[in-house]
Amino acid sequence: MAWQTIAKKDARAVLDSQLFRYFLGFVAFAFVVGGYLLPNVVETPAPSDFPGYMSEAVTLLVPLLGLLLGYKAIVGERASGRLGLLLSLPHSRRDVVLGKFVGRGGLLALAISAGIVTGSWLVYYPYGSFDPLDFLAYLVVTLCFGLAFVGIALAISTLTTSEHVATAATFGTFFVMVVVWPELRPLLALALEQIGLANGGLPDWALLLHGLTPGMSYERALTGLFTADPAGAYFGPDAAWYLGTAPALGLLFAWAVLPITIGYLRFQSTDL
Amino acid sequence: MTAIRAETVSKRYGTLTALDRVDLTVEEGEIFGFLGPNGAGKSTMINVFLDFVRPTEGTIEIFGHDCQAESVAARKRMGVLPEGYDVYDRLTARQHILFAMESKDAGGEPMEILERVGIAEAADRKAGGFSKGMAQRLVLGMALVGEPDLLILDEPTSGLDPNGAVAMREIIRQENERGATVFFSSHILEQVEAVCDRVGILHEGELAAIDTIDGLRSSVGGGTKLQISVDEVDRIDVSTIETIPGVESAWLDPDASEVVVTCSNDAKMDVLVGLDDAGVDVLNFETEEPSLEDLFVEYTGGRT
Repeated sequence: MAWQTIAKKDARAVLDSQLFRYFLGFVAFAFVVGGYLLPNVVETPAPSDFPGYMSEAVTLLVPLLGLLLGYKAIVGERASGRLGLLLSLPHSRRDVVLGKFVGRGGLLALAISAGIVTGSWLVYYPYGSFDPLDFLAYLVVTLCFGLAFVGIALAISTLTTSEHVATAATFGTFFVMVVVWPELRPLLALALEQIGLANGGLPDWALLLHGLTPGMSYERALTGLFTADPAGAYFGPDAAWYLGTAPALGLLFAWAVLPITIGYLRFQSTDL
Repeated sequence: MTAIRAETVSKRYGTLTALDRVDLTVEEGEIFGFLGPNGAGKSTMINVFLDFVRPTEGTIEIFGHDCQAESVAARKRMGVLPEGYDVYDRLTARQHILFAMESKDAGGEPMEILERVGIAEAADRKAGGFSKGMAQRLVLGMALVGEPDLLILDEPTSGLDPNGAVAMREIIRQENERGATVFFSSHILEQVEAVCDRVGILHEGELAAIDTIDGLRSSVGGGTKLQISVDEVDRIDVSTIETIPGVESAWLDPDASEVVVTCSNDAKMDVLVGLDDAGVDVLNFETEEPSLEDLFVEYTGGRT
């Protein structure tokens, strides 16, 4: 299969860059530091404490690295002409998109896995407990979260032929989706109240809307999975069914799969 | 078997027509030169072969594989030196060849290929530091991997020094002798003339002519021009010369004491013999064949 050839070469090319080596190491290291510090703040740390403790750092670092890994992967080669060289060999465009997704997403997945494994071990040793199911769930959900951003970045990379546009779109995505969006809830509530659609809290549909981003879905999934008694607008007995844990997991999965698919379909149908 | 069959291929970008109903057939084993000035649409055509560009109308088949629907199968038969490529800065020359081998599922020894294209000494250097000419040789090497049935070379000698251009021609001949069909584009006439069996001239997206070099020659200005210096130009009867089979026209140039005859290549001797029979002393003669340059101007510049 040709995509494996591309994935391998692409991963090697990424690792040739010092910046990416450091950044990948840094993300893994962040989990290790978290795993080291957590037992200092919790008396008998359990695997289910780790995700919540890490979530702020993870929802900032992982999107940033995921986007950086992906956003130039295709547009950069397209602008320089390396894509022409690659596609003059018997590779399909699907091989190219898939190979890059696997190659770059794979590296991010490796860094996250190494970090979570080491971090979880530090949480467990010497005072904590270990629950393989919690550990696995945390790993899978976080991988999904990371791959979502690699996929979004690759989608951006396939949709434009200009590196400047790709850079601006990626920066904008990070700023809007990761930095600004989580803070918008009070503003949204205020706005809806002004036009008479809400009274006090947000209605369910607005909560769903606000919770659509990969970051919000990820945090919601963690809360639902690892908090003994999840509370807040999204949980509890009165919350709508579509606000719970399972839909959040579904959304996360959709983010990991849909943008890259749309990017591929568009890439497939255009002239280089 | 037909290597390339293009039927009414057009490509329009808005109001701009890059290719206009191009019909083209290249038989297996041919060396086909695709000639035209810059911007004539040569690269667009090649990009359609590679499925980089989707034609507005028409279809192209490479060894029976549709270039769009079965692009990978078509490209499996090709070795390509594309236009406007860039190499991987961080990979060495050897790694480039290995990557091409892995991509084409082909075996072979990378050093053999690098020696053929003349950059063996740079095998373990990163391609980021290569000159344009070295990069060109490297990508040609990638194209040669796996003994492709069809070589597609887009302006293969651009960036090469004269020695490199000669080496490129040599490789084209070797590949052709091995059995490969070669399709290459150029805006430089001598290169096409030197190696090609047949030539297509593309002008503003239209295929202006397609023929052998000799065929193109004879279609322009009737072939050879003879300039014959004689002792007494007045004694010559032009109309007698024009009765000789193969002669197109003849006229006198009294100032230079010359008679000028345009005729087919075979009729040259007959003209000289005819003059001798008429009792005219031939002092000297020159022949002048129309250059491809003339053909080119005729087909591109001259047609307005």
